[in-house]
Amino acid sequence: MTKTNVLGNSVPRPDALDKVTGGKQYPVNVVLPGMLHAKLLRSPYPHARIVNIDAGAAEKLPGVKAVLLPGDVPQRKYCPVYFVPTLAPSMVQDMLVMSDTVRYAGQPVAAVAATSARIAEQALELIEVEYEELPAVFDPDAAMADGAPQLHEGAENNVAVNPVIAFGDVEAAFAKADHIFEGTYQTQRVHTCYMEPRVCVVDSDTGGNLTVYSSMQHLFGLREKLAFVLDMPESRVKVIKPAYIGGGFGGKLDIGYIEPIAALLSLKTGRPVRIEQTRYEDFITTTRNPIKVYLKTGISKDGRFVARYAESILDCGAHATHGAEVINVHGMFGILLTYPCADQHWEGKSVYTNNMIGGGYRGYGSPQGAFAVESQIDEICEELGFDPVEFRLKNAYKQGDPHPFNPQARLDSYQFQACLQQAAERIGWSDRKPAGSDPGVKKRGIGLGCQPIWVSGCVGFPDIYEHSGAIVKLNRDGTADLSTAAVDLGSGQITTLCMIAAEELGLAADQVHMTYADTDTVPFDAPSHASRVTYSSGNAVKAAAGEARQRLLEVAGGMLEASPEDLEVRDGMVCVKGSPEAKVSVVDVVTRAEAPFVVMTAEGPQPTNLAEKGTIIGLSSMAPPANPSPATVEFVEVEVDTQTGEVDVLRVVFAHDLGKLIHPAGAEGQVEGGFQQGMGYALMENLAFDPDSGACLSSDFLDYKMPTAVEMPPKIESIFIESDEPTGPFGAKSLSEPCVTVPAPAIANAIYNAVGVRVRDLPITPEKILAGLGKL
Amino acid sequence: MTLTTLENYFLPGSGTEVVELLREHGESAMILAGGSFVHGLAARDLLAGIDVFIDIQNLGLADIVAGPDGLQIGAMVRLADLASAPDVQSDPGLGAVKDALHYPPVQIMNAATVGGNIAAVCPYFDLPTACLALGGKVTAQGSAGSRDIDLEDFSAGLFESTLGKDEFLTGLVLPQPAPGSAGAFIKLESNANDLAIVNVAAQIGVDRQGVCHFARVALGGGVNETPLRSAAAEKLLEGRKLTGEILKEAGQAVQADISPMADHRASAEYRSAMAGVLTERALQRAVDRLN
Amino acid sequence: MKQLISLDINGEIHELAVAPQASLLQVLREELGLIGTKKGCDSGGCGCCTVHVDGKAVYSCMVYALSVQDKPVVTIEGLAENGRLDPLQQAFIDAGAVQCGYCTCGTIMAARELLSAVSDPDEEQIRHAIAGNLCRCTGYQKIVDAIKLAAANGA
Repeated sequence: MTKTNVLGNSVPRPDALDKVTGGKQYPVNVVLPGMLHAKLLRSPYPHARIVNIDAGAAEKLPGVKAVLLPGDVPQRKYCPVYFVPTLAPSMVQDMLVMSDTVRYAGQPVAAVAATSARIAEQALELIEVEYEELPAVFDPDAAMADGAPQLHEGAENNVAVNPVIAFGDVEAAFAKADHIFEGTYQTQRVHTCYMEPRVCVVDSDTGGNLTVYSSMQHLFGLREKLAFVLDMPESRVKVIKPAYIGGGFGGKLDIGYIEPIAALLSLKTGRPVRIEQTRYEDFITTTRNPIKVYLKTGISKDGRFVARYAESILDCGAHATHGAEVINVHGMFGILLTYPCADQHWEGKSVYTNNMIGGGYRGYGSPQGAFAVESQIDEICEELGFDPVEFRLKNAYKQGDPHPFNPQARLDSYQFQACLQQAAERIGWSDRKPAGSDPGVKKRGIGLGCQPIWVSGCVGFPDIYEHSGAIVKLNRDGTADLSTAAVDLGSGQITTLCMIAAEELGLAADQVHMTYADTDTVPFDAPSHASRVTYSSGNAVKAAAGEARQRLLEVAGGMLEASPEDLEVRDGMVCVKGSPEAKVSVVDVVTRAEAPFVVMTAEGPQPTNLAEKGTIIGLSSMAPPANPSPATVEFVEVEVDTQTGEVDVLRVVFAHDLGKLIHPAGAEGQVEGGFQQGMGYALMENLAFDPDSGACLSSDFLDYKMPTAVEMPPKIESIFIESDEPTGPFGAKSLSEPCVTVPAPAIANAIYNAVGVRVRDLPITPEKILAGLGKL
Repeated sequence: MTLTTLENYFLPGSGTEVVELLREHGESAMILAGGSFVHGLAARDLLAGIDVFIDIQNLGLADIVAGPDGLQIGAMVRLADLASAPDVQSDPGLGAVKDALHYPPVQIMNAATVGGNIAAVCPYFDLPTACLALGGKVTAQGSAGSRDIDLEDFSAGLFESTLGKDEFLTGLVLPQPAPGSAGAFIKLESNANDLAIVNVAAQIGVDRQGVCHFARVALGGGVNETPLRSAAAEKLLEGRKLTGEILKEAGQAVQADISPMADHRASAEYRSAMAGVLTERALQRAVDRLN
Repeated sequence: MKQLISLDINGEIHELAVAPQASLLQVLREELGLIGTKKGCDSGGCGCCTVHVDGKAVYSCMVYALSVQDKPVVTIEGLAENGRLDPLQQAFIDAGAVQCGYCTCGTIMAARELLSAVSDPDEEQIRHAIAGNLCRCTGYQKIVDAIKLAAANGA
């Protein structure tokens, strides 16, 4: 692995100082002169037709400047997902900004812009809506049955998409299997719980040009979707990049309703319009889709996968949104590609129901798959007497194997086995006792969960954007400005990209600054999602920095009378390699490049060198060369109280091959935060809704339980393995999403080892454990 | 969030003024102490029609005084101040109160008040269950003057008290625990900032021979519309030596006295089973405190 | 009906006309431009809005502005003195405890109260002190480390 100067150090995050003193730059703080506030009226019914809306009284309320009803919005159906073209064939275009058909409780049916949020709320109460209630369906199986209410035209039996992927001959393979295991695994609806709400401010001018501020994960996606919905050229929509946002996790990867509604209200009133969602509105806006997985696996007597069959049913809710893509990622990366097996068959269905709509969420279908696959592996091992670590080692891909997702490529860097072995040793796997054997009321157990194959971006996926760009500009004070459209969600994108630029340029990390950007001023970048920013945006940043560096060396070469190939940049100096006295400072080089061509001297005006004049700048726009896979393993030790069913997580050991460790504290932070989300998913989170009315029951943090500092384990240990990915910037691949995928199966398996209870539906509540123990 | 339909907010300086305001505004007025349950009540639609708040922070009700009746706690005493009161910290007889006050996050401890907590008549709160086991009473002031109401008689049902329309709660009195007595409280919750799924308070007195001469077991959370005492458990414990077996039996005995509810937090069966487990554990903790 | 009141925020007195239903959070952000205190749930569940009233950490979303007249209120903006960061703020930076940062200020305010009362808190006390502050990014581990670091640095 190449030695790096900047990378590998936990430098202070450039945005941290601002954030600890108040954090001025969140989109939620944007205020514009004359700004109006808008609020949305939401349907109380899960399935209804709007017969009539009378907003006359609302319009007359003093302070109200505009009202928007379903009849006022463009009737262009779209898919709201940012990272695909709006009309992408593999997605489903079934949304309108506002519709006169309500398909879930909480769907917006009207909007009011007023001089204050309070007046807007009061105006909502004056809007009279006459609904014709329609029969609703909340269970995907019931939705697919004949006679169920049909929720969207063209979706027979409410199936939005129905992918089937098969390899080999799974029937024949099952016939040859020595053992066959079957199980059904169900995951629940949960919320991303980003702390900064979804919020936007949209301003317009008399030419109908829009300027958009929003807490979101994709500048260009927002521009594209908004322009499409409003049927205007993209160049008339400018999206300002927020310096950072207060969390996203995939939950801000689609246009939702608020930007188009705010835009329409702004165009109507000629004033900026702000919409901020309440926590309740956020809860019902974007969720991780529940998926029911039926998994059937054939095993040979020596413990190998010989046949794998699965059916997955995903509950889309009222609109497909991400559901058409989540099901595919789930099928591929959650099930089929996890371990090599020549004969497999998987069928997925994304089903419409009158539940709240789904969105993106870290892991994107793979947590639902991992829960099934990794739980069942342990069930297989328990039944057949195999060691769960040995079983996985035996079946795993190896470095150098063809890449399962893109067989043209190879797993050039792939240290899954090392992850398994090192983490197993650290947790003390060899001391693990048989299931349920701990004496006493509180019983301990150890379990593991893996994500053997994942992505670093989206190269290879149909219909998904994957290219990035960056601008790197050197300043006369020896610093560099980096402009990219990559949004920092909190996961440290600013820090990582500045470090990559600094490494390439030969500067210190704090000499590179991430600056202003908007959709007019920087090249396209795909969203901050799919664990892609380090690898994909990072490669683009490295390339742009490389171009700037080359120019720097050319100018310096002129000053030092040396060839650029013979020069290096270190500690703010450009030196001749091997002759450290022959040097000139970066400050001097940039100053020279930007100085006037003709200089006044004591002898009169003197020309310098025209060829060296100009801003030292680099530009890139490119697709990443590949899509390398990281590898992830997590071991968890739990203690189960067999009288109450409560689960305490005692220890976590996480091991991950990320190619190159860029910022150790940042990487650990991803693991630790991911564990909070995965543990919540495993043990307590559930976006509950009323089975009759479809109304959300857990719409504040009192009712929606997620882990606080008290429930978290005292220590989460991270082992990072650097496999030096040849196509990655300085060897880097990816990290973030597997951190959320592996905790739930690890916890489920640990619970089984502790008390011998197998729970196949999340969350694994104390009640389910007690029921499994026969105590309820 | 705060109640968004308020028209008026008063800060009276005397109890008489409060009573006068209550009489003037009737059903549209509400007493405000810490205000930390306003959202919870509004979210359950229990504040429809309220547009006047009467804030009682200026009535001098923020003191804790050890008096002849016991510990007199003003309605405005913050939960944090009660928790750090020397008697609560050190007297094992007040162990149930000490335990109950360990649970809420600091922001609630600093804002929520004893008066507000009791007056809410919320079965999912913790302090009322602990105080019920101690045999506390509240003091109230109204147009007819002041009076005391035993905690056992304070609830008229879910979120409803027996206070008259022009009365407000001015304080809580906890009787001095007898020497040789100890209490404990345990709450079952899904995470650290939660309403109780089940909570149990146990108060016991044991003589020199180790025989229990009095026992009070109170349960709250979703086991009943209001916290209640388990006569079955108490009868079983009194006069017995408190062995592990007896405590287990007491846990089983409570199930006859409760009517647990089912909601998205827990089923009735789970609440019932946990009432038993928590009773046994709370009693054990009280026993351990004695030793 | 609005009332004219006097609020003491970070040592500065402000005379404002405040509506009865206005929370302290709302007044801080919308009337006084003190945007360091944040709204994450507006219902006393997440802690992003934590400030000090009379030196005690409270959820400002659940406190009526009218109820804190003339009581000293301190927000995150009032922690740094003469441009020097409070040791807790510095520790959050140094320990890598800031990711999206939205919970950061509220958590610092909760920890600030702890460290003013207990100079060397143990792990359990620290976690209990921030139990009312939800974080979705960090898993709390480096936040706990930061509070320990601040305590060691005499915060």
